[in-house]
Amino acid sequence: MNTAIPVLAAQNLVVEYRQHRAVDNLNLQIPQGCVYALLGGNGAGKSTTISTFLTFNRPSSGQVLIEGESPHTNAELVRAKLAYLPENVALYDVMSGLENLTYFCTLANIRLSSDQAHDLLLDSGLQADAHQKRVAAYSKGMRQKVGLAIASAKQAKAMLLDEPTSGLDPSAANDFAQRIRAAADRGMAVLMATHDLFNAKQVADRIGIMKNGRLLEEFDAHTVQHDELEQKYLAHARGLA
Amino acid sequence: MIKTIIRKEFLATLRDGRLLTLGVALLVLFAGFFLASAYELQQLRAEKHSVGTTAKEQWNTQSVKNPHAAAHYGIYVFKQDTPVAALDPGLRPYIGQALWLEPHKRNLTRFSPAADQVLAGRFGQATTSFVLTALLPLLIVALTFNSISQERESGTLRMLHSLGVDAGQLLFGKLLGLMTAFSVVLAPALLLAAVILLGNFAFTLDDVLRLLALLVLLNLYYGIFAALAISASASFNTSRTTLFCLLGFWLASVFIAPRLGVVGAEILAPNPSASEFWREIKEDIDHGLEHDGDHEERAKAFEAQVLAQYGVSRKEDLPVGFVSLNRQYNDAYSVKVHALHFDALRDNFVRQQHLSHLGSWLGPSLALRSLSMTLAGMDLAHQRHFEDAAEEYRHYFINLTEDWDRERSRGTERKATGAEADWRSVADFSYQAPDIGFALRTAKLDFLVLLLWLGLSIGLLRISARRLVP
Repeated sequence: MNTAIPVLAAQNLVVEYRQHRAVDNLNLQIPQGCVYALLGGNGAGKSTTISTFLTFNRPSSGQVLIEGESPHTNAELVRAKLAYLPENVALYDVMSGLENLTYFCTLANIRLSSDQAHDLLLDSGLQADAHQKRVAAYSKGMRQKVGLAIASAKQAKAMLLDEPTSGLDPSAANDFAQRIRAAADRGMAVLMATHDLFNAKQVADRIGIMKNGRLLEEFDAHTVQHDELEQKYLAHARGLA
Repeated sequence: MIKTIIRKEFLATLRDGRLLTLGVALLVLFAGFFLASAYELQQLRAEKHSVGTTAKEQWNTQSVKNPHAAAHYGIYVFKQDTPVAALDPGLRPYIGQALWLEPHKRNLTRFSPAADQVLAGRFGQATTSFVLTALLPLLIVALTFNSISQERESGTLRMLHSLGVDAGQLLFGKLLGLMTAFSVVLAPALLLAAVILLGNFAFTLDDVLRLLALLVLLNLYYGIFAALAISASASFNTSRTTLFCLLGFWLASVFIAPRLGVVGAEILAPNPSASEFWREIKEDIDHGLEHDGDHEERAKAFEAQVLAQYGVSRKEDLPVGFVSLNRQYNDAYSVKVHALHFDALRDNFVRQQHLSHLGSWLGPSLALRSLSMTLAGMDLAHQRHFEDAAEEYRHYFINLTEDWDRERSRGTERKATGAEADWRSVADFSYQAPDIGFALRTAKLDFLVLLLWLGLSIGLLRISARRLVP
């Protein structure tokens, strides 16, 4: 794991909407090959943090950095280095999975041959007979796989996942976690917002607990026990910690 | 990048069930209206030709009589509508279809279809132009109102943003993709129209150019609606709000703007009433225009001039018919007065048409409808061109009969006669309608208004792209 320059970093990040402070002085670093899971309930600030990396909103103070550069001053960074998978991967229902992949990749200046596109979908776990079907008929897990294929095609340096396993059945969630782990093992930095403790423990290298916009505590996912993580999480959630 | 977006929008729009449903409904509606319009035009052209030929034959076969009495028999002339009028009958329902040419008096056209319409006609005009200028923009609104808001609601806008897609290219790509898909759906209807037109009417090059110009302008018009709808979709938070706003705009542009424009024009440039119009003409003939003297003074002066010209002291001694000479002189004065009043009235019509654009700030429909009827040759300018040609023809045949009367009589006698050979020697009215250049010059202001709306819609699209929030 190369820790010299973190792929993703937040430095004293504050994001405010009107009078509400959604992210409060957040500091984190995610190096190459690391999966970082942000745990927290609704309104903790996890999605806002991801949105700030994607430039959907601007920091009120502090900054986010992608390989040391701010995406708010160099918008090209987002296109070139980030892949994004929201809770519900947004695809065009009237197009097939293959067409969606090709469309999004073309917009990202990635030219795929038909074989390459099929291979990417297969590598992401989407069975061949689904490639030409319209996305309207896809399950949430199948959509996630197309999203993963897009992320793989981009050869992005980092992947931002917003509640990726929410609503997936256990088998699909496990399959998805393995694919994320594999992507990280190939060198991708992953920032994942989730409230699924099991999934976080299963796939992450580091885990941070957020509440009311603040990062309250961080753990090494490889050393923390599941029970300990659960107790800490519940304690923070109930305001007992 | 923009080509990819256009292609995707094109495919997505074609696959969208709404377009297919609306497209089929449109084809049926268009076909129904167009067949009715084309049939009506064909019937009207046939009737005009038939009545015109019959009327001229009746003129030709008059018995032996005084040439001036023959002139009083009069001739009916008709404006032949172009095939393009099947797409837009323009002012035809409200303008008289026949012009009665007779001595001494210049008439207004008579027999307007609106006056003869059946009960169903009073519930509104169901024409092809209504489909093209009113219903198709509604179809565009239905297809585009959620073009961006849906992407925002489904999250694809965020995906696109994360891929670094330029918002300007996205919005313009959507516009062009949608317009391409729309054209594909519209194509069968237009093809059907072309087949019907070519099968039933003889086309000149000018007709083809007018049709093509109309097609280009209609596409600009639809482009304006599409660009405004995409801008609204990008600017408003929800599809529902966007739809309400766009429906309001459509109503304002298609229905309110023309009425507001017309009311404004009537207030700012009122027309004289018919009785006032004819009374003023009569007064000017009787009392004379400025410095001309009244009818009696002019008659005395003319008599003195004729006597001096022929070197005689009494009308009875003239070598030509004085009655005819005097009538020609009086008619010439009448023509001069009529021309002044007719031109003033028709200039006011033009002023009103320009003033009606006061309603154009509500939408581009008024300008497009005006352009459409001008290209179809069914506007006031084309009508005026026809009436002027008919007036010239009236001078020709009235002067011809007066020449016979004058040359075949002496002094104050009224013995001149003419026969069928004379009546047949009067040439048929052969009207050459103006070309497309005339139409384009006439519609300069309408074209300018349409271009302003196009500029505004493109400008709004650019602003929406700059302010687009995923």
